[in-house]
Amino acid sequence: MTKVQLPLSKKESRLYMAFMWVTYISLFVGGLMGLLQTLVRSGKYTLPFNIDYYTILTVHGVILGLVLTTFFIIGFQFSLMGKTVGISDKQLKVAWLSFWVMLVGTIMAAITILVGEASVLYTFYAPLRAHPAFYIGLALVIVGSWIAAFVNFRQLYVWKKAHKGEKSPLPAFMVIINMLMWFIATIGVATSVLVLFIPWSLGYAETINVLLSRTLFWYFGHPLVYFWLLPAYMAWYVVIPKIIGGKLFSDALARMAFILLLMFSIPVGFHHQLTEPGIDPTWKFIQVVLTFMVVIPSLMTAFSIFATFETTGRRKGFKSLFGWFKKLPWKDVRFLAPFIGMAAFIPGGAGGIVNASHQMNALVHNTIWITGHFHLTAATTVVLTFFGITYWLVPHLTGRRLTPRLNKLGIIQTFIWTFGMTIMSGSMHIQGLLGGPRRSSFSEYAGGEQVATWINYQIAQAVGGTILFIGILLMVYIFIQLTFFAPRGVQEYPIAVEEDDAEPTPKILENWYLWIGITIALILFAYTIPVIDIIKHSPPGSPPFDWLIGR
Amino acid sequence: MGKGNSKQHQPNSNESTHNLKGTFIAVMLLGVFILVSWFGFYALFLSR
Ligand SMILES: [Cu+2]
Repeated sequence: MTKVQLPLSKKESRLYMAFMWVTYISLFVGGLMGLLQTLVRSGKYTLPFNIDYYTILTVHGVILGLVLTTFFIIGFQFSLMGKTVGISDKQLKVAWLSFWVMLVGTIMAAITILVGEASVLYTFYAPLRAHPAFYIGLALVIVGSWIAAFVNFRQLYVWKKAHKGEKSPLPAFMVIINMLMWFIATIGVATSVLVLFIPWSLGYAETINVLLSRTLFWYFGHPLVYFWLLPAYMAWYVVIPKIIGGKLFSDALARMAFILLLMFSIPVGFHHQLTEPGIDPTWKFIQVVLTFMVVIPSLMTAFSIFATFETTGRRKGFKSLFGWFKKLPWKDVRFLAPFIGMAAFIPGGAGGIVNASHQMNALVHNTIWITGHFHLTAATTVVLTFFGITYWLVPHLTGRRLTPRLNKLGIIQTFIWTFGMTIMSGSMHIQGLLGGPRRSSFSEYAGGEQVATWINYQIAQAVGGTILFIGILLMVYIFIQLTFFAPRGVQEYPIAVEEDDAEPTPKILENWYLWIGITIALILFAYTIPVIDIIKHSPPGSPPFDWLIGR
Repeated sequence: MGKGNSKQHQPNSNESTHNLKGTFIAVMLLGVFILVSWFGFYALFLSR
């Protein structure tokens, strides 16, 4: 097997750190908004200075769901590419351009939201109309991320040309899959923003096709969550084995899982629109079936992770059925944080299957169960894995070390996060099953028996939210320590290698034409007819509503 | 990396590294958990 690790130059490290900075500033800002929301919904606190609840809700969703994730992911992925296939000076310049375009877009959108001109939540459903600067800002974030994607594609292409006949390094392969998925998916939301929202918000178009805009959003919205999840999978497949002192379980299995995730993440957006009138139930059914296919690569991933643990433990001499489990490096935060992330994905994934099943969706649709679900998946599974990456990535980039003290603080942070999220997400799930709505500010809904059952859960969410905010403060502190104050040294960039006797990876797994072709075919199959239907049979479009969001 | 033929003179270690009984059971339990939770919520749906 070829050498997997290239040194990262100072210049590259600066770029990757720039992405990390935006990530952790976003964590602080977005997290603060989350805290305020839970406090308002406890019914015991009102926002000062006439700040609108929906303004902070929009900041929370956009800054954490769209900004933090995208910046962290692109920065982390750039570092993986730099480590395995390298980056040229010219590519580095273009990569910086992607950073700045994304940052300008982010600031534009953030200011528009903060001044109260875009309290439309991160899904920006029409006919609520935000100021055009909000949509233009979002479009810039997407364009910036496309620039990053094309730099990544170019990086692998150049490497491939220099390494004829060799298989691409696994981390680079995974990054390309994720960016391909992102590119194909964001075409939907970009179309929606450029063709539908911007002309309408500027007043050039009088009405908007609401159903079409929502369909285009969810064409993007589901792969969005996989765009968050795949970098976590990258860490689980290639980083965690190294940290626990093992090797890659199977290169081919990892690639196959990523290919399946590419194919089955996009043609499934209707599972977010199961209650949407105007979409033929047959097509909803077809997309639900396609959604369930994701179970396959998910269980493949679970299998691979368990197998890595077991193989590593047995090699260390553990004979009993689950003895190897005890031997895992529980005191190493680089392992512990992502591990809890994995564990959270078990109930998270099970909940996802419930959401995607039409009947049970009726049980939870638009309830705060959904909010609980994505705080378990995105805000626990994904975020704890990202924290787990931060503990070694940041010191690696700044030429420092994760000291035992910072490791310990990290473990405390992980426990705070787990504890706070269990309370908050748990109470959201239960309140959702009791019919508690999501998105809404505090209200007693003019009384009622059912409403009375919700308030204790909302208080529990405020308790959980407060604990989580303490966790955020600690994490930001650790980030600053790792950036500026930790002792100088060398922190390992953990990338696992294959077993010595690993089977060769089948060449077909790198047949991009084939996999992209199948992906596009599945999308065309799942979307063409229903979208034609939607365009042909839609009711008249909607004029904008500004007053609803206080504009 | 990849030099020497560990396969040849360490048949034992190789055998033990490919013992994945625990993995098999763990993944099966995972599947059972998913099914049980799914049917649990389905029952809740039916009861409402
Ligand atoms: Cu989805």
